[in-house]
Amino acid sequence: MATNTLNPSPPPEPLLPYAPEQGRYDEAVGADNRIRPHWHYVLDALAQLGVDDLQSRQQKAQRILRDDGANYQMVGQPQNNRVWGLDPIPLLIDGEQWSGIEAGLSERAELFDLILRDLYGPRELIRHRILPPELILAHAGFLRACHGLSMPGEQQLILHAVDMVRGPDGQMQVVADRTQAPSGAGYALENRTVLSRVLPSLIRDSQVHRLAPFFHALRRKLNSLARNGGGMPRVVILTPGTYSETYFEHTYLANYLGYSLVQGGDLTVRDGFVWMKSLDGLHRVDVILRRVDDIWCDPVELRGDSRLGVLGLLEAVRAGNVVVANPLGSGVLENPALLKYLPRISEFFLGRPLALPSARTWWLGDPADRAHVLTHLPQLIIKPTNRRPGQHAVYGAQLDETALAQWRRELSRNPTQWVAQQANPPSTSPTLQNGELRPGPTVLRGFAVADEGSYSVMSGGLTRVASFAHQMVVSNQLGATSKDTWVLATEPHRMITLREQQPSLLTGEQSSDLPSRVVENLFWMGRYSERAESATRLLRTTFMQLNGASTLPESVRRQLLQSVTEVTGTQPGFGAQNPQAFENPETELLGIILDGGRFGTVCSNLLAMLSCTEEAREMLSADTHRVLSDLRDTLSDLPNQLQPGSLAAPEEALDPLITSLLALSGLSQESMIRGFGWRFLEMGRRLERALQTTLLLRALLVPVLDDDAEKQLLEAALMCGEVLVTYRRRYRSQPELCSALVLLLLDRSNPRSLQYQLDQLSQHLYELQGGAATSLLSEERRTLLEALTLLQLSRAEQLAELDEQGRRQPLDLLLSRLFERLSATATLIAEHYFVHQRRPHQLVNTRWGDEE
Amino acid sequence: MIYRIRHLTRYSYEQPVSQCFNRAHLLPRNTASQRCLDSQIEVRPKTSWLREHRDYFGNRYCYFMLHEPHRQLELDITSRIDVDPGQPEIALDLGCSIREAHARLERAADEETLLAREFLLDSPMVRASKQLRDYAAPSFATDRTLLSAVRELTCRIYQDFTYDPEFSTIATPLHDVLSHRRGVCQDFAHLAIACLRALGFPARYISGYLETLPPPGQEKLVGADASHAWFSVYSPGDGWFEFDPTNNNMPAGQHIVTAWGRDYADVTPLQGIIFDGGSEQTLEVSVDVTRLPG
Repeated sequence: MATNTLNPSPPPEPLLPYAPEQGRYDEAVGADNRIRPHWHYVLDALAQLGVDDLQSRQQKAQRILRDDGANYQMVGQPQNNRVWGLDPIPLLIDGEQWSGIEAGLSERAELFDLILRDLYGPRELIRHRILPPELILAHAGFLRACHGLSMPGEQQLILHAVDMVRGPDGQMQVVADRTQAPSGAGYALENRTVLSRVLPSLIRDSQVHRLAPFFHALRRKLNSLARNGGGMPRVVILTPGTYSETYFEHTYLANYLGYSLVQGGDLTVRDGFVWMKSLDGLHRVDVILRRVDDIWCDPVELRGDSRLGVLGLLEAVRAGNVVVANPLGSGVLENPALLKYLPRISEFFLGRPLALPSARTWWLGDPADRAHVLTHLPQLIIKPTNRRPGQHAVYGAQLDETALAQWRRELSRNPTQWVAQQANPPSTSPTLQNGELRPGPTVLRGFAVADEGSYSVMSGGLTRVASFAHQMVVSNQLGATSKDTWVLATEPHRMITLREQQPSLLTGEQSSDLPSRVVENLFWMGRYSERAESATRLLRTTFMQLNGASTLPESVRRQLLQSVTEVTGTQPGFGAQNPQAFENPETELLGIILDGGRFGTVCSNLLAMLSCTEEAREMLSADTHRVLSDLRDTLSDLPNQLQPGSLAAPEEALDPLITSLLALSGLSQESMIRGFGWRFLEMGRRLERALQTTLLLRALLVPVLDDDAEKQLLEAALMCGEVLVTYRRRYRSQPELCSALVLLLLDRSNPRSLQYQLDQLSQHLYELQGGAATSLLSEERRTLLEALTLLQLSRAEQLAELDEQGRRQPLDLLLSRLFERLSATATLIAEHYFVHQRRPHQLVNTRWGDEE
Repeated sequence: MIYRIRHLTRYSYEQPVSQCFNRAHLLPRNTASQRCLDSQIEVRPKTSWLREHRDYFGNRYCYFMLHEPHRQLELDITSRIDVDPGQPEIALDLGCSIREAHARLERAADEETLLAREFLLDSPMVRASKQLRDYAAPSFATDRTLLSAVRELTCRIYQDFTYDPEFSTIATPLHDVLSHRRGVCQDFAHLAIACLRALGFPARYISGYLETLPPPGQEKLVGADASHAWFSVYSPGDGWFEFDPTNNNMPAGQHIVTAWGRDYADVTPLQGIIFDGGSEQTLEVSVDVTRLPG
């Protein structure tokens, strides 16, 4: 570090104004108000940037996070995400101190592995009275069905995460262990990736340890767990699904590690093995990295009402045919009461005291502890022994007398279910808040992974900071933000590559790597996006016509509005049974755009499409995610753009939507590997565009009106089909039905013509069936061929003519038949390729009483 | 005495079942007084997976999967068990007193007592309550022996409660059984277990069979026997002792143990998950307990 040698006595005062709280340990500034040596370089560099620059870099970081789709806490609707918060100032840990923490974390993981093996095996800890039996046996995380399970390799516990805080004495102590399906490692990696883009030179010059070795170790370990050698083992990541609060991390890790992301329904147990359902059949799964809590993993033996699990999974594990990491049953280790007994357990198993201490913990199941807790409640934090979603620690200091009395009653009533912990204020670290550096209470989550006989610790971790100095609870659900964690290298000569490996977003997709659920969602993504586009184009055309220079003839106006209802399927809308809608069409038209809860509207189609993209998010490129973020923003801003009563040029508000949708379809053409995923996305698009075209032409061109009116509707149809300009250039005349039909229906050179869609679709189905290798036509191909034949046998002149009754019967008939055949094709494709989930039921109801 | 037990379970479904996953706790375990000589398991139609395992409590169970559509599932298990003849009634004034029992459980000087504390805890179907404690308390004066108190409780349940298969299903809560004073063997076993746990004594649930003898001079009917349930209590330092509140006795020689656990949920004879099968299903169970010429 050149600055240090040039300036041997570094500035004692912080350059940026920063005042930590008195009496509390601060990570960057010592009690003597001097900057701690390992912070000099970074704080110096940040001071030179200045607060304004720092803030703009923070904004850039947030933009990158948003574009990467880095969310936390998905609630209900896919447009309602909270972007992961990242502070631009990292938490620095000096290398020497880190080696102590690292050794402590590794030892702790080793210890928890020993506990896990003991509790589901010989139970020496209970037999030798190290642990009271009730501590384990009354804990809901102790799963008797998992007794005796084991996996290959020296360790059973694959991943271990701990939350640490530094107390006022400067000593790191553990406040909680995460042993089920620890989250956060992926967010730590994303934080590093983003920070190295916004502060590239700072991170390069600061000698920061890399995170990648941890993930390499994880990969190595998971691959080694497959029991039957030969060939690449199939490892999958089991996610609860898109509504999981850490779903982003699941997709991120799946891509980074190169594993398939699956949901419970994507897997099935047959003949004692676990299989993934993909388009070309079942593929055996060797290892499952689970992000589903254990009790939800197998309805046969665990929670019978779970819809997140895999029936028979436990039996497949028992038979040694699949390995689940962390093992089922490991939730018992999250019991915070273990913290009290850990020093004794360490002596018992390892014969030495614990290197990394835990926060002082009392278990209410112990009579002496109970007495202490009941008298000291205001100084303590209350935690349940069995953590449930949405449950937070309770701070005795924040309770009034009534609440304290209530808690004392509860703690005495169910003593085994509660612990109390010493409420030590966590240390603070400088955090950027509204343009100022403020001391933020800091919790560090560290990670360890089993690796060849011992544990490898991530050189870094996930740091979370509460937003106000006095707030003691640091939880993402309560608005905490995060920091990158820099472990600084002590030996400057050591080779350190700073750039993290970027996740490979376009993995070489093979059919068998994709669960059919993902493919189905891509198919529907294509369909919904075409549906949204078609509706948007028609609405745009309608607004333009309605607001045109000359007043629209009433018959044209009515027909246009009616076609909006017919094409979008938003009945009752504009129709004979609803005459008042025509009087003031604006309300209804805006509803057809904005009403997310109504079937067929632009908004509901886009929301449906966005939720499909969530299900398939690991298949989509970074650029695609950026377009989707833009689309979400446009969508949420749309109500402001389209205020009723002030509609000067509403069609302009729709332009960005069309641009985003076109960008999406361009991206799928230009940056997706031509695998099953891409093919089904394309098929969805072609099929839906074909269906929409038949609906549109039928609504606009079949009715017989006077010549001028028909010309105007024809112009609308050409405008929706984006061929009005082509038409004028080609025919140099007023629109005329016969030529327009050629262009819209039959012209193979028009990528929006019906013929073009059917040709493309037909080619996809041909390839799917194995190309020239098969001469038999699948049902969906036969049906599509009928549609193609109908189209090709038709003649534009004939279609344009009126029959004896003065109706456009041939055109009407053709379009309705085509619609029917194409709908049938869609159904057949779904039946042929997609798995349809049926809900199992129990022979005997195994849920008793009021267990949860 | 050697018994042969045949336990036939048949499920018939309204619609074909496409796949099912099952666990059956129907293979008799070994105990201090019985040895299972052999067991034969037949499942119709053919299973795609069938394994025998031992559970957390040391019980045997079999796990099977079917992946062929079927309208009927038949599980046919036959075992031969050698059961020691028991003494009609042991001396109940031996063993530790109620007071001692509490003290020993608390101290838990030996492993057996320490591990028996698991059976003091609430379990999926048995929750201790004040009402149950109040019902049982009169029999548990602190000076008497635990076993004599439990024998009295067994007798009181037998006298106070009516055996009524129409009243309860397996999901009937214990407080309903207590307030209506009706139920079947599972209910009475659960009731006694809950009473004992409420008073601080470890108790476990036992499922098994009882040999029934036909009236003198009559042939025994095929399939007339049934599965049965009773309980055992842990007297610290003395071990586990079985009681049958349905028949007001201490099992000896004619009770054959299949499995034990905290309650019925741990040892459900046949439980599983099916796909499809329609809304209606019928269950037939037939059990034969036969003495074999020894």
